[in-house]
Amino acid sequence: MTVLEQVEAQIAQLSNRATKRNTGTIRSLADGVANIEGLSDVMYNEMVSFPGNAIGIALNLAQDEVGCIILGDIATLKEGDEVQTTGKLLSVPVGKALLGRVVDALGRPVDGKGPIDSKEACPVERIAPGIIARKSVSQPVFTGITAIDSMIPIGRGQRELIIGDRGTGKTTIAIDTIINQAKINKVGLATGDPKFRPIYSIYVAVGQKNSNIVRTIATLETAGALEYTIIVAAPAADNPANQYIAPFAGAAMGEWFMENDMDALIIYDDLSKHAVAYRQISLILKRPSGREAYPGDVFYLHSRLLERAARLDGKGSLTALPIVETLAGDISAYIPTNIISITDGQIFLETDLFNQGTRPAVSVGLSVSRVGSAAQIKATKQVGGKLKGELAQFRELAAFAQFGSDLDERTRKQLDRGARIVELFKQPASAPIPIEQQCVTLWAMQKGFYDALEIKNIIPAAKSLREFFATRKDPILAEIRAKSALDKDLESKIQAAVDEWKLTQPKA
Amino acid sequence: MKADKRTTQFARQLYKLSLGADGRLSSERVAAVLACIEKTKPARALALLQTYHRHLAAEVGRSQALIEHAGPVSDALVAQIAAAMTKKYNRPITPAPKPAPALLAGLRIRVGDDLYDASAHGALEQLATATTA
Repeated sequence: MTVLEQVEAQIAQLSNRATKRNTGTIRSLADGVANIEGLSDVMYNEMVSFPGNAIGIALNLAQDEVGCIILGDIATLKEGDEVQTTGKLLSVPVGKALLGRVVDALGRPVDGKGPIDSKEACPVERIAPGIIARKSVSQPVFTGITAIDSMIPIGRGQRELIIGDRGTGKTTIAIDTIINQAKINKVGLATGDPKFRPIYSIYVAVGQKNSNIVRTIATLETAGALEYTIIVAAPAADNPANQYIAPFAGAAMGEWFMENDMDALIIYDDLSKHAVAYRQISLILKRPSGREAYPGDVFYLHSRLLERAARLDGKGSLTALPIVETLAGDISAYIPTNIISITDGQIFLETDLFNQGTRPAVSVGLSVSRVGSAAQIKATKQVGGKLKGELAQFRELAAFAQFGSDLDERTRKQLDRGARIVELFKQPASAPIPIEQQCVTLWAMQKGFYDALEIKNIIPAAKSLREFFATRKDPILAEIRAKSALDKDLESKIQAAVDEWKLTQPKA
Repeated sequence: MKADKRTTQFARQLYKLSLGADGRLSSERVAAVLACIEKTKPARALALLQTYHRHLAAEVGRSQALIEHAGPVSDALVAQIAAAMTKKYNRPITPAPKPAPALLAGLRIRVGDDLYDASAHGALEQLATATTA
């Protein structure tokens, strides 16, 4: 359509009849929030049009005035400006056209790659799916991190919190999970299997430094994961209204995949900053404040967001991995306890473990997945079912072992095995391990193949074993992938392959 | 000066006192309220008066139809508009015609927060918004 045709179409659309608008006047304006006089017909959460193409959302309907958060550029707005209602709820573009793109809280592209050709839009605020529409979580989401996939499995449609102090690797786990989904998608789509269901990812960055967001984009691009990912960026420099709305915009994009029989994964990085942005808005709106000055509905803010993650009966799923930052490891603070109670489990990352070099620094005792082994393939259950208990025992014994040197044989063996499991779970960033390779390494651990090795040699040995299988025993890996379980025949094949690999290893 | 919660509530009470038995603003009552304020000199009088004025202005806006017009408008049309608005809002609406050449052509009527736009300026503005959004 030419420019002239576009204008002619618009002219044709304009009717000669009078248009009715409900208007108001800006009375005060501060920190992305405007108090407006008038707007007597405005509805809660309705979009309000400001001069200069800025839009707002009516959040406070008081007797004399309306409190609106403003999304977009507020530099040109001033007191006395006229605003008007639109009769619409805030919507963002959705669909596959957004994959590979970086958008702001309103779904507008910010990556300089041109406009997004999206045909549909969905409201940002929506009621979460009800009980009848849901189905229990039973299909796995592989993170590619052995410690998580074997001990704290995540299922499609689950909400699993990633929690820990700053600099403990929370974002790294989320990014690794996205990268692993991209790897699985590539392999799965290449096979042409009609039953294969790819997982598309949405990464919502709230209140983060722009430099961190750029680094994340670069990591995803380098790993070839950006083409399966949508990034919603509401950096620290954005006004609090954009930071408040960004996770809901991301959820709307994820819901589109879920509603259209696809699976999606959404990362909220992070909800502590989201709560802070909401607190700022609420305080400016003069809403009554409660504990830690957060408004009374901060629980509802996060529960209505996270409840939108679900597995729908006969449709797709939306898995949510919210991230929360703690202060000095205190998980009993207000926002962490709220989100722990909403989600279906948490992965707790410990600063001490991180500093000791155990990365990912997953605390086995405080981490849990309430979906449990329902979201694990049988092969993982077979090789890693007892690992969590063994590791928990190891931590307990290790604490007691510090008090005395005389240990009985059984305790010494348990400590030795625990130390080997801890070592085996160490994994570098941006290097997710496919589930079939995880199964092989855990199988070798279960059968005591690493027992003769020195602890410092376990990581290189496990890596060498994985490479051996990937390069020379790919049919076995493919069989594990296809069967998702280890039968006697498969186990004997793995046994033979591991024996063969052992011969390639230098003698100690 | 920004009115605090107490001043806002007081101004609202004064506004309610300014309404007559028919629910419309009564000039005698408003005069009495102003005289009382002048006599008693309450705290934060300026903020109180500003808030009171805002309430009164909103009430005046609700009970009158501000008819902005670019060309000449006959008295019959003004009366017709007033009658239509009175019927629509189910309360007496008095017309207030005001010439506005900036509208280029047509009319724009404001009753309270509601704006009815049938002007050429409004249509062009709509076109500009639609093409630049």
